[in-house]
Amino acid sequence: MTSVFIAAVSLALFWMAAFTLWWQMHAWRTPEVLASTRFSSPDGDQHVSFSLLLPARHEQAVLDHTIQRLLESTHTDFEIIVIVGHDDPETTAVAERAAERDARVRVVVDTHEKKNKPKAMNTALPHCRGDVVGVFDAEDQVHPELLAHVDHAFRTTGADVVQGGVQLINFHSSWYSLRNCLEYFFWFRSRLHLHAQKGFIPLGGNTVFVRTDVLREADGWDPNCLAEDCDLGVRLSSVGKKVVVAYDSDMVTREETPGSLMSLLKQRTRWNQGFLQVYRKKDWKQLPGFGQRLLARYTLMTPFFQAFSGVVIPLNVAIALFLDVPVGVAFITFLPAVTALVTFVFEIVGLHDFGKQYGLRVRFVHYVKLLVGGPFYQVLLAGAAVRAVWREQRGQNDWELTTHVGAHLTEADVIQESREDVPA
Amino acid sequence: MTSTLPAVTTAKVPAQRQPAPEERSTGRTTPPKPTRLRSSRPDLLLCGALLVAILVVQGWNIGSYPTLSDDEGTYLAQAWAVQQGKGLAHYTYWYDHPPLGWIQIAVLTWIPSLISPESMTVGSMRVMMLVISGVSAVLVFVLGRRLSLPRWAAGLGMVIFGLSPLSVVLQREIFLDNLAVMWTLLAFTLAASPSRHLWHHFGAGIAAATAVLTKETMLVILPAVLLTMWRHGHRDTRKFALTGAITACALIGFSYPLFAVLKGELFPGGGHVSLIDGLKYQMTRPGSGFILDRGSGSWGVLQSWLYYDRVLIVGGLAGALLLLATWRWSVTARALAGPCLAVAILAVVAMRPNGYLPAMYIIQALPFLALVLAGGTASVAHAVLRRWRSTGEKRFVTSGRYALAAALALAAGAYVVPHWYEGDRVAVTADANAPYRAASKWLATEVDDPTDTRVLVDDALWLDLVHAGYEPGLGVIWFYKADLDPAVTKTMPRGWKDLDYVVASPTVRRDAVDLPNVKAAIQHSTPVATFGTGEDRIEIRQIQTTGSASGGER
Repeated sequence: MTSVFIAAVSLALFWMAAFTLWWQMHAWRTPEVLASTRFSSPDGDQHVSFSLLLPARHEQAVLDHTIQRLLESTHTDFEIIVIVGHDDPETTAVAERAAERDARVRVVVDTHEKKNKPKAMNTALPHCRGDVVGVFDAEDQVHPELLAHVDHAFRTTGADVVQGGVQLINFHSSWYSLRNCLEYFFWFRSRLHLHAQKGFIPLGGNTVFVRTDVLREADGWDPNCLAEDCDLGVRLSSVGKKVVVAYDSDMVTREETPGSLMSLLKQRTRWNQGFLQVYRKKDWKQLPGFGQRLLARYTLMTPFFQAFSGVVIPLNVAIALFLDVPVGVAFITFLPAVTALVTFVFEIVGLHDFGKQYGLRVRFVHYVKLLVGGPFYQVLLAGAAVRAVWREQRGQNDWELTTHVGAHLTEADVIQESREDVPA
Repeated sequence: MTSTLPAVTTAKVPAQRQPAPEERSTGRTTPPKPTRLRSSRPDLLLCGALLVAILVVQGWNIGSYPTLSDDEGTYLAQAWAVQQGKGLAHYTYWYDHPPLGWIQIAVLTWIPSLISPESMTVGSMRVMMLVISGVSAVLVFVLGRRLSLPRWAAGLGMVIFGLSPLSVVLQREIFLDNLAVMWTLLAFTLAASPSRHLWHHFGAGIAAATAVLTKETMLVILPAVLLTMWRHGHRDTRKFALTGAITACALIGFSYPLFAVLKGELFPGGGHVSLIDGLKYQMTRPGSGFILDRGSGSWGVLQSWLYYDRVLIVGGLAGALLLLATWRWSVTARALAGPCLAVAILAVVAMRPNGYLPAMYIIQALPFLALVLAGGTASVAHAVLRRWRSTGEKRFVTSGRYALAAALALAAGAYVVPHWYEGDRVAVTADANAPYRAASKWLATEVDDPTDTRVLVDDALWLDLVHAGYEPGLGVIWFYKADLDPAVTKTMPRGWKDLDYVVASPTVRRDAVDLPNVKAAIQHSTPVATFGTGEDRIEIRQIQTTGSASGGER
C-alpha cells in the first residue's frame, strides 16, 4: 500500500519535472528554434510610434539615468511618459527636470490614495499618443536599438503584443541572485517563446509593447491584480491576440535582482499571489484548445507545484534509501530526483551560456554556488508559495514593493549619474 | 489581426521560423537537405526489400544452425527465471553482467512463452532474435543515410551487415551482444539526427546507456557516439545537446550501481555476492593471448571469424584505413568519422597483448565494419566516377570511368558472392543440433522419474529438461554450479555420488578439466546413450555409485 502510494507520487512528480524541463529547454531544441527566438534585423523603415510608460516611485536615484538611456534610442518617433505619485516630490522633481530638458518626456501624476503599478499605468493610458504602448521600470537599462527592432517586429509579424527580453545581470552579487538571474535567463530566453507559440502567455512586467488600441479595448491593466503583467498577457492571449517574443542578448533590458533575501521573498510572494489571482479570474478558460487550457492551468499553478516538489523529492529519496521497499519501487522513487539532476546539469550549461552571451566571467565558484544554492533556493520558493497562499486566504492584497540599489550599473555609471545630478 | 475586429481565437500562433545560421566550423560541404527518410519511396522500397531478404536468410533453419551455445542457454534460462518471477537468475545473481540484457530477452519472449511454455528453449526462441536483427539492419540503413551515404551505399552496408555469413551465424544466436548492438545503433542514429533535436541527442544518451547495461563491453564505443553527435551538432546548441546526452547516459548507467546499493551488494562482504566482486572477476579473466600470435586462444578466435567471412573483417578494416587516409579530401570519410572511430577502438582493444577475447567480440564490430566498408566503397566509386571530372570531359574518358567502375564491381562480386553463397547455404541447410535435440528427447522420455533425478547439463539443454519435469536448479544443474556455487555444492555432501546423470556435451568435456566435481562425475559414469560422433558428440552418462567406486576419488 505504501509502495503504491510512493510510486504514484513519484511518477506524478517525475512527469511534472519532465514537462517543466522540456519547456525550459524549448529554445535549444534545434538550431532553427534557437534562431527563431531572436529579433530579425530591422530594415531601417520606421512606421510605429511609441508611448513609453515609466512608472517611478521613490526611485529618484536611478530614474534620470533610465530616462537618459531611453532618449538615446535610435528610433525617431516616441514619447516617454513618466508616472509619479503626488506624494513623492523627490522623484517628481527628477522627472520634471528631465521633461524640461527634452520635449519627448512628459510627466503624469498619479493621485490614487493607495498606489500600485497597474493603477499608475492606467492613469497614463489616456495620455498615450503613440500607436504602441511600451512599459519600462525606473531602474531599467534599455538598449538604444531596441525600439527599432520592436518596430520591425510589429510590422513584419502583425503582432498585437511584442515582448522583449528582460535579464537580471548581477549574478555575482549573492548566491540567490545567481539563481535569480538564471531563472530569468531560462524564462525569457526559452520558456516564453514556447508560450508564445502555444498561444498562451503570461507577459513580463516590462519591455512589453502593446498596440494602444488593443490595450484600451482590454481596459488596460487590472488594478486589483498583484501580477497585472501576467494577467494582461493571459487576457490578451485568451482572446486570440497575437503575441511575439524576441530575445537578443545585446537587446535585452537589464535589471537587478532584489537587494536582500527578504525582498526577493516578498517579490516572489507577490508574483505567486498574482498568479493565483489570475488563475481564479478564469480568463484562461476562454482558450480554445484543451492543451492550451492545460498549459495555462499548469503554468499558473507552477509556483505551488514547485514548492510541493521541492519538499517531496528529498523525502522520496530518503524513503527509497532507508525504508524497506521493493527494489522496483525504490527505482521509481528515484525518477524525480533524476529529472532534478538533469535540470541541474542544464542549469550549469545555462550559466555557461549566460556568461558567454553577456560577456561575463563566470568563475568556478559560481558553478559551485549554483549547485549548493539549489536546495536552499527551493526552500525559498516553497516559502514564498506558502506565504502567497496564506496572504491570499487572509485577503492581503497590498503591494510589497521591492527597492533597488542600482547594483546592475557599473561603478562608472553610478558616478556619472551622481555627477549629472549635481548641476541640475 | 487588428484590434477593431472582435476577438478572434487562433488555436496556435506558429513561432517565427528562421533558418539556423550556417556554420563553417566542421568544414563539411553541406549535403543536399535530405528529404524525410520515411517519406522517401525509393528508400523505403530498397530498405524493405533488403529487410525481407535478410530475414529470410537469417530465419531459415535458425534453430538448427549454428550449434547451440552455452551462453545462449545461460541468458535464456535467466530470462526464463525473470519471467517466472524468480529474480534475475535461478541461481544467485552474482553481477557477472548487468541484467538488462536478459530482462529484454524475457520481455521479447514473454508473449510466445505465454502461448506455449515449452517453446522457451534455445532452439525455438532463436526466432525472436530475428526481431533484433531486423531492427538492427534497418538502423544500419538509416544511419548510413544519415551519415550522408548515397542510397546504394547505405543499402550495401545493410546487406553486408545482414547477409555476411559471419553475421548470419552470430546474429542468429541469443547473445546479449546482439541486443547491445541494436541499442548502440539506435544511439548512433539518434546522434546523427538531421533535425539536431536536443531530445534526440538526449535519447541517444539513453540508448547508449541501455547498450552498456545490456553488454558492458559497449562502454568502449561511447566515444564514437559522442564524436558522431559532435559532428552533427550545431555550434549554437551543441553545448546543451552534448551535456544532455552525457548526463542521460551517466544517470541511466548509474542505475546499475544504484541497484546494487539498494540490495546492499555494492561492496564485497561475508555471505553475499557484490558488484565489486563481479567486476573484479571480469577484469581479471585469464587472457587468451595476443591476437596475431599463432597458437594463442585469441588467434584461434580470429581464425574462427575469418573462417566464416574474410570480406567483412579484412574489407572493413581496409575501408577504415582508406577513410582515415583520405580524411582531408573525402566528404564521405569525414561523415563516417563515428563508425570509423568505433572500428579503430574495437581493433585496438582486440590487439591488447594479453586480453580476454571472447568469440562474440566481433558482434559489436559488425555494423561498423559494414558501414565503413560500404563507405569505403562509396568513396572509391566517387573517386572513379566523379573526381577531376570537368564538364567538358571527353566521352571516351567518361566511358572509361564507367567501365572501370563496372570492372571493379564485377571483380568484387566474383570474389564475394561465391564465398557468401556457400556460407549462407550452409547456414540455411545444415543441421548442427540434431544431437542436442536427441539428447533432450532421450532425457525426457527414457528417464523414469525426472522429478527425483539429478543431472548435470550444459546451459543450452537446461531449459529443455526443466520443461521435461526436472527440478530447476538442484535437479537439473548447470554443470559448473556443482563446483562453483556454494548453494549447490551444499546439497551434494557426497560429491558426484549425489548425482544421477551427467550430459557430457563438448562444452562440459572442455571445462571439466578445471571442475573437480564434474570431472569426477564423468570419471564415475558410463555412457547410456550417445548422439553424434567425434568431438561434437553428446553422451548421456549414468553415474555408477556401485562397482566402479574404486575408480578413485581424488
